[in-house]
Amino acid sequence: MKFNIIKWLFSLACISFIITSCKKKLEEYNPSGLTGSTLYTQAAGFETLVNSAYSYSRFWYGKEEGYTISEMGTDLWTNGTGDVFPQISTYNNLQGNNTVALNLEWNNLYAAINVCNSGIKGIEKVQDYTAAQKLLREAELRFLRAFYYWHIVETWGGVHFTTEPTEGAITTANKTSVDEIYNQIFSDLQFAVTNLPATATQYGRATVPVAKAFLARMYLTRGKNTEAISLASDVIKNYGYALQPKYGDLWNMANLKSKEVIWAVDYSTNLSFNDLTTVSYPSGHPRGSNSGHLLFLMVYDQVNTAILSRDINNGRPFNRYMPTLSFLNMFDDANDARYEGSFQTVWYANKVAPGFAIGDTAAYATKATIPAAVIASKKYTTYDLSKTYGTNGVPIQRRFYVSLKKFKDSTRATLAEAQSARDAFVMRLAEMYLIAAEAELKIGKLDSAAYYINIVRTRAALPGRAANMQITPAQVTLDFILDERAREFAGEQLRWFDLKRTNKLVDRIKALNPDAAQFVQPFHMVRPIPQSQIDAVSNKDVFKQNAGYQ
Amino acid sequence: MKKIVTFTILLFSLSLVFAQSRQIKGKVTDNKTGAGLADVSVMQKGSSSGVRTDAEGNFSISVNGTGTVDLVISLVGYGSQTINIRGDRAVSASLEQQSTALDEVVVIGYGQVKKRDLTGSVVSIKGEEVKKVPAGNIMESVQGKISGVDITRTSGGAGARPMITVRGNRSINANNDPLFIVDGIQYSNYQDINVNDIESMEVLKDASSTAIYGSRGANGVIIITTKKGNSGKVKISANAYYGISQVAGYAIPMTGPQFADLKRQASRTAGLWNSTADDSKVFTTPADLAAVRNNASIYWPGNNLQNGSQQDYGIGVAGGSEKTKVYFSFDYFKEKGMLNNDYSGRYTVRLNIDQFITNTLKVGLQNQLTYYDQNLRADNILTVANKVLPYFSPYNADGTLAKFPGNGNQVNPLLQELPGAYINQNKITRILSTGYLEWKPVKEFSIRSNLGITNSNSRNGSFQSENTIVRALSSGSLSSISNNISTNILWENIITWQKQFADHSLGLTAVTSYLSDKTDNSFASGTGQLLPTQSFYALQNNPANNLISSGYVASNLISGAFRINYNYKGKYLLTVTGREDGASVLASQNHWEFFPSVAAAWRITDEEFMKDQGLFNDLKIRASYGVAGNSSVKPYQTESNLQLIPFQWNDVSALAYALQPQIGNPDLRWELTSTTDIGLDFSILSSRVTGSLDYYDSETKDLLLLRQLPPTSGVSSILQNIGRTRNTGFEISARTVNVQTSDFTWSSNITYSRNKERIIELVGNQNDIANSWFIGYPINSFYDYEKVGIWQTADSTLAKSFGYKPGDIRVTDLGGPGGKADGKLDANNDRKVLGSAVPRYTLGFSNDFRYKNFDLNIYIFARVGQMFVSTYANKFEPNAIENGAQVDYWTPENPTNAYPRPNVNISRASLPFATTLGYLDGSFVKIRNISLGYNFSKEMASRLRVGNIRWYVSAKNYFTFSKVKDYDPESAGSFERPLSKLIVTGLNIDF
Repeated sequence: MKFNIIKWLFSLACISFIITSCKKKLEEYNPSGLTGSTLYTQAAGFETLVNSAYSYSRFWYGKEEGYTISEMGTDLWTNGTGDVFPQISTYNNLQGNNTVALNLEWNNLYAAINVCNSGIKGIEKVQDYTAAQKLLREAELRFLRAFYYWHIVETWGGVHFTTEPTEGAITTANKTSVDEIYNQIFSDLQFAVTNLPATATQYGRATVPVAKAFLARMYLTRGKNTEAISLASDVIKNYGYALQPKYGDLWNMANLKSKEVIWAVDYSTNLSFNDLTTVSYPSGHPRGSNSGHLLFLMVYDQVNTAILSRDINNGRPFNRYMPTLSFLNMFDDANDARYEGSFQTVWYANKVAPGFAIGDTAAYATKATIPAAVIASKKYTTYDLSKTYGTNGVPIQRRFYVSLKKFKDSTRATLAEAQSARDAFVMRLAEMYLIAAEAELKIGKLDSAAYYINIVRTRAALPGRAANMQITPAQVTLDFILDERAREFAGEQLRWFDLKRTNKLVDRIKALNPDAAQFVQPFHMVRPIPQSQIDAVSNKDVFKQNAGYQ
Repeated sequence: MKKIVTFTILLFSLSLVFAQSRQIKGKVTDNKTGAGLADVSVMQKGSSSGVRTDAEGNFSISVNGTGTVDLVISLVGYGSQTINIRGDRAVSASLEQQSTALDEVVVIGYGQVKKRDLTGSVVSIKGEEVKKVPAGNIMESVQGKISGVDITRTSGGAGARPMITVRGNRSINANNDPLFIVDGIQYSNYQDINVNDIESMEVLKDASSTAIYGSRGANGVIIITTKKGNSGKVKISANAYYGISQVAGYAIPMTGPQFADLKRQASRTAGLWNSTADDSKVFTTPADLAAVRNNASIYWPGNNLQNGSQQDYGIGVAGGSEKTKVYFSFDYFKEKGMLNNDYSGRYTVRLNIDQFITNTLKVGLQNQLTYYDQNLRADNILTVANKVLPYFSPYNADGTLAKFPGNGNQVNPLLQELPGAYINQNKITRILSTGYLEWKPVKEFSIRSNLGITNSNSRNGSFQSENTIVRALSSGSLSSISNNISTNILWENIITWQKQFADHSLGLTAVTSYLSDKTDNSFASGTGQLLPTQSFYALQNNPANNLISSGYVASNLISGAFRINYNYKGKYLLTVTGREDGASVLASQNHWEFFPSVAAAWRITDEEFMKDQGLFNDLKIRASYGVAGNSSVKPYQTESNLQLIPFQWNDVSALAYALQPQIGNPDLRWELTSTTDIGLDFSILSSRVTGSLDYYDSETKDLLLLRQLPPTSGVSSILQNIGRTRNTGFEISARTVNVQTSDFTWSSNITYSRNKERIIELVGNQNDIANSWFIGYPINSFYDYEKVGIWQTADSTLAKSFGYKPGDIRVTDLGGPGGKADGKLDANNDRKVLGSAVPRYTLGFSNDFRYKNFDLNIYIFARVGQMFVSTYANKFEPNAIENGAQVDYWTPENPTNAYPRPNVNISRASLPFATTLGYLDGSFVKIRNISLGYNFSKEMASRLRVGNIRWYVSAKNYFTFSKVKDYDPESAGSFERPLSKLIVTGLNIDF
């Protein structure tokens, strides 16, 4: 009996201990974590949301996945030996389940849109913003939402669309028409144009001319030509932008923030501010910063290892992409500085060997045909037309070729450094001229079109050759403009969009890219939806793969 | 009782009928109590008849012959005795009670019971058994010895822990590890425990046994009890062993000439090569061409793999007085892995004290301190060694190491072997300290309070020089240091009350428990260390990319539990358990859950009607049902947390926060597993065969699973309570004594476990392809196209209709939307579940032989029916840009069905159906252990002034039989850190 009492008392003590302490002990305490509901309701915290909304642009611009989707599978490029996504380059068996480049972009574009949606919806709750600050940040977020949706709608067509932030687990997706998505893009951009400031002290933020320039591109895309012309010329005239005197200067690492750049993804020279995956940023990009410098280079370090080995200046060649012969032939290299300004054709010895001094030519790639006797007479190795492309334009080999050098970066710390601090240009002034020209062509004003084109071509001329570069209104055709855009913007992640907009994708691939010509089909005008998305949705009867893909 | 007496008298009178010469009377008593022993068998040696004693221990037997005779007196549980008799005077014999297996005490949650009184499914292993297979940690030592417990090694690296599942997987994202209890305290770091300190290990498998642990018990409970001191003579035991480990099967990459051929064939497919005359088009640099023409070949992994070693030295001392008992030990264990600079040194010190303050009050301490000094190679050195072009020398012409051999894409893995180039050093100190106070005022009642504190302090220092594999593709060295302090406090109060009322026995246990887990961590890193010799120290000398972070993680669990044990006459046993748990990691409205269980057992051999049979010494049927929970998920998953994204404006860092890819689930609740277990314990043929059979059926609902979400939602996953799984299985464990003579004994231990794991319900009752979850299949299943071979030239038209050509991988056209083969291969209709990583069954067969002073253990372990993804089989680079596995690939002249045709224009990433190459049958049988021991004779030992010496040699993991060539497929093997085989020799000395 006595012990029963003790036990009873003891149990009582324990129970009362439990009851009093439980409630408090079972509340989670998380001082090192943050949630949106605590952070985004204050102005200082909301700023971090807006910053993060910008950060997602780094998954597309300057990244291999972005280059692959926006430049490959066009008339300009075919696959080098190192291409890891040849399905995209050639359309051979392109499917939703074999192309992880599409997954990375799909996932991050929608993550970006969710951030924008949360911000646009939640900005009302921020207590310590002024009304003006609210408008400004909302305008930035709306600009970015339009910007991201454009990538989605042009790449995949009428796919999932929402302006609601995600709450909880959403397992369905919808199919929304292209027109409806563009309606939102236009309304967001109008809002941005109205409410953004004319300038920003923080380089890379959206401003009025940035939004106008992008809106001009959208108008052109949707056939609203007069609006496109008026906005493009507004940007050209009123915001202090200027073409660089020399085309080659655009790619100088010391001149990245020039007056020609309307908007760029600003990669920091402090690489730790960029987006490489780290312990503390596990969902970053596996390569980080700008990796465009790796992709277009031929393996110059396999030409002759005795005299030429890999160095920082020549870059780390991934051998992913090589130009099509047709693309090289678009250049009038006797007059057009953009050939020399875009391509590397000569590599110099960087090791001493019998018969070679440092600085002697070691390798030479050219689109011309060089007589065999001349080739044999040279110490260096020549890859001329006959050693690079067959008569049908299909490459004979895919390792040694004229290489796009725009993105090379000799300021990298080591030769193997994969991260480059080079800014990725999203829009630059030359595009405004060509937008205006294309819109003028569409409305039949060929002389105006030629006027805009000639401004771009004048800048592109080699010294003293400006006159030779001029074109007449009669020369302006859609194909000419596409050729001009190729010469001006090759590699700048615009080509897919240009061909789609002009509905020339299939025609020009069939005519100019023999590798892809045999596989390209009309349904390739949109890319396949990643299989992981198709697998994950619960409404599989509604959310289906794009037509033509398995 | 009366019946027995009558029966005995009847027997006795029968024997009288045949009495011939003389009658001998006598009495058999218990040598301790002096009480007469009933039912003792008394036989004349050499004769087949005998008598049994009556209730008072008296017997009378008639013996043949007139001279000296021997009487054999025996009783189950007491052993036997032979008495030499002359004449016919009365004899008296006293027998000593042996502790039988049934009387062994088995530790269960918050208490202990005799094995005979167990109602649940519990396996008990003695410390001696654990010691038989020398291994770095206790769980590796008992691999295959516990039915229902699947233990697999996943890595051959120093200090690596095996993977443990008890009765299959229930959950993928919530932890599937069993709960480890060391001397009453939760302690998951079982690898810290010195094998020689173990008194016993108990594995609780069914819900009735684990329910007292509530939420923590769903994956089974492993209770480890360490040795205690003893009063009387001081016992000292010393142990030492040393062993050499080698890679247990390692498939080698292509040789130089083989790789050159691959490259030629890959170029040939693209029309660049037709004969060796075209070699210069394929091997474009003079160095390539020269290496190929010279048939140069380097076995790169051979440059990195070496022999490892294991060694262990320890001393344990047990002593004390009536009131004080002390056990202390010291142990040093060191393992060197098979990669250079891969080592783990472990120092363990233990002190256990039990002290009576008064006759009713006892206090004690169990202390364990473990210190690790490790350097672990976690880099991808073998992956690179398998990729690097095999015809290039690692050295430049001047004898220095080439950074990129042959200007290839791969960094020379030997650069990583230079002193100080790659450091990944851990210093870990863990203290497990438990104090208890036990008050036992009367025999029936006790109160005990346990306070256990685990304090873990770890520091990882890492340095990768600019020439290491990762950093060579970046800029400068990377230095980092991370510190982790974690404190785990468990306070439990246990009240027990036990009373016998006539034939009824009642026991009550009540428990309160509070568990708190707190971890603080900090991390710093930078690149470009000024002087490489400063390694991960002086991080301030790293000029770039300086990162810092710190964090805090905490969780609490509060519980109350009770258990009622009741038995009637020791034959009918009943256990009822309940536990209420509150877990902080779950949503606040779902913190609490109650876990009930009930178990009953019937000891059939105690029934009257079983008295006559001679087959069973023991027979017991058990049945139990209970519910256990699981909440072992990381804290803070009920809320959507933000991630910090590195960002800047104008080159000045700016904070950017966005949602983490995994969003929170505000409804997170308990994962519940209900298990029915029916078991049979038996002992037959005079205890020559003892064993257990168990059948169980456990169903888990509200599975805590990380679910992949459609990326269009902007997030990628959520931890959810999804669906149900079911595990049914059958387990046998048996111990047999096959031969027993004074010189030679042979005994065997057999375990067999068969578990069928499958998902039985998912959201919307449809398969979840994104997560690879399929109703009717195990959670960890492989879903893909089914490779049938390679498209052959004869089938080129058919191949073309699918979009393929001869030399491509051929997969089955399983069906179209209507279920019939439709001539198209698409992801929706032509993939299927190919297999799973779950074995059909596992088998352990251990044999102990003893001949005079020699003992031999041969232990065979089999794991059958599982599939795995072979990293090696996946190493095929169709464009020959890097080296890979020696595989049989298709060429027009070699129409194999194994691997597709190489092609310089196709990368592995874009090779159609490339993933189908890796699925292999992982079934294996291995001779896990062969040990031969020699026990020095008593004379020899005493001459050396020791009690006992045993010397042994043991070969572990030496023979593996499987369909996978040159590869140890245990748990898919590890490509980066291959599994080892070990040969060991050691000494055990007792003073």
